[in-house]
Amino acid sequence: MSSISELYDVSWEEMRDKLRKWREENYRNSEQIVDVGEELINEHASKLGDDIWIIYEQVMIAALDCSRDDLAWSCLQELKRQFPDSHRVKRLAGMRLEALERYEDANKLYDSILQDDPTNTAARKRKISILRAQGKSSEAIRELNEYLEQFVGDQEAWHELSELYINEHDYAKAAFCLEELMMTNPHNHLYCEQYAEVKYTQGGLENLELARKYFAQALKLNNRNMRALFGLYMGLFATSHQPYTPQNPEAQGFAARNRDEVDCVQLKFQHIHGEGLSC
Amino acid sequence: MAGPELLLDSSIRLWVVLPIVFITFIVGVLRHYVTQLLHNEKKVDLQQVSDSQVLLRSRILRENGKYLPKQSFAMRKHYFNNPETGFFKKVKRKVIPKNPMTDTSMLTDMMKGNLTNVLPMILIGGWINWAFSGFVTTKVPFPLTLRFKPMLQRGIELLSLDASWVSSASWYFLNVFGLRSMYTLILGQDNAADQSRIMQDQMTGAAMAMPPDPNKAFKSEWEALEIVEHRWALENVEEELMCQDLNFRGLFS
Repeated sequence: MSSISELYDVSWEEMRDKLRKWREENYRNSEQIVDVGEELINEHASKLGDDIWIIYEQVMIAALDCSRDDLAWSCLQELKRQFPDSHRVKRLAGMRLEALERYEDANKLYDSILQDDPTNTAARKRKISILRAQGKSSEAIRELNEYLEQFVGDQEAWHELSELYINEHDYAKAAFCLEELMMTNPHNHLYCEQYAEVKYTQGGLENLELARKYFAQALKLNNRNMRALFGLYMGLFATSHQPYTPQNPEAQGFAARNRDEVDCVQLKFQHIHGEGLSC
Repeated sequence: MAGPELLLDSSIRLWVVLPIVFITFIVGVLRHYVTQLLHNEKKVDLQQVSDSQVLLRSRILRENGKYLPKQSFAMRKHYFNNPETGFFKKVKRKVIPKNPMTDTSMLTDMMKGNLTNVLPMILIGGWINWAFSGFVTTKVPFPLTLRFKPMLQRGIELLSLDASWVSSASWYFLNVFGLRSMYTLILGQDNAADQSRIMQDQMTGAAMAMPPDPNKAFKSEWEALEIVEHRWALENVEEELMCQDLNFRGLFS
């Protein structure tokens, strides 16, 4: 198999810059990273200088994803040789054990890291992901809650918790987690849209109204978000068909207004698809 | 009192002005590296990290709470500010005021700081004063009053000399502060050779990870959160959305 640099006609600097871009923007294209990274390490190690250590880390995680244990092991050895007492390297060793499904050993390793440094968030999060990998979702939820009690600002963790709750169908708590995320990132249309979806799933007039509002907000933030548009349409449709009850005399006014809005959105859909949607 | 313009020997420039700049700069760089070597890891306290994150969350709630539904906002505000069970009311951290004399870690830090910063300054200042005394080194470009004379003209006992003419010791001190931006250029931000910043730190008091009194921080957060009210930003979002053109044209070809 010819090398990447021949296939795509790129120099080693371009490969290195590509890896940096993927690293900074948190891409998870592991196969590509393994291909490009392996070549960089084998052919151009001397030219990379100190960059090589972070590339080792990046390639190792990608190799674990592609179950390339040989590559992961060699990267780990290099890193261990250079940074013998580092917690970061220990965590990578733990991740490799997790990939081999040796969860007990991985747990022991993470516990030793935490004994040394109780504020190490990476080790705690790996322990929680071990629980999740083993399928023990209720324990994972409990541990994650404890973790979040201490580190309230960790957005990755909030997102993970919301996912866990959605899997358990506990939508109220998932909504709480997504609210935390929306609070810290008010301009992120994806969180708005996820929150709206959870509210829509919960059902009930109030939640549907909220869902509509947040779908609309997501659209306002990014008008290309098709899921939000569809969600808005479904929300309008659902609320316009809520029955009129004496407790909610405004519902009729809502229903009328909603029908107008449904028509509006439908028109926009027609614009896209070129044909009407039948309700 | 404007004196006559003095003409200085150009060898002063060669053998005094430039060497002083050179010496100050080299000593500064050396100080930076010595500080790096002697620097030891600051132990981070779990409690402090947790507290600082909680305060951050409360601040974000105040700023961005308007994007949350009313009930969620009320729920969180209640969690923080409830008179009986609220976080800011209930949690009182035990604060041991760190006495710099008895606390060992702070003592060693202080000693190291003194050693690397003050000692070289005194030594070199004294040496320059001894070696380069008795003559005028340079003239500051702005006029000074007579009160500056004894300070800036050590070793020169001339009553009629303009206060703008200064001795080498003052040129040394000028350099110490002036080369700060050079250090930033060469050593990067946050370097240990930056003496004026260190002196500022010493003046403003202890500067550890968290303000040493989290209770005060909690109290001020509580007050700030009490007065915030919730104005839902999403009140009219649907109408606004319907009014504007969503620009779907050309999105799908």
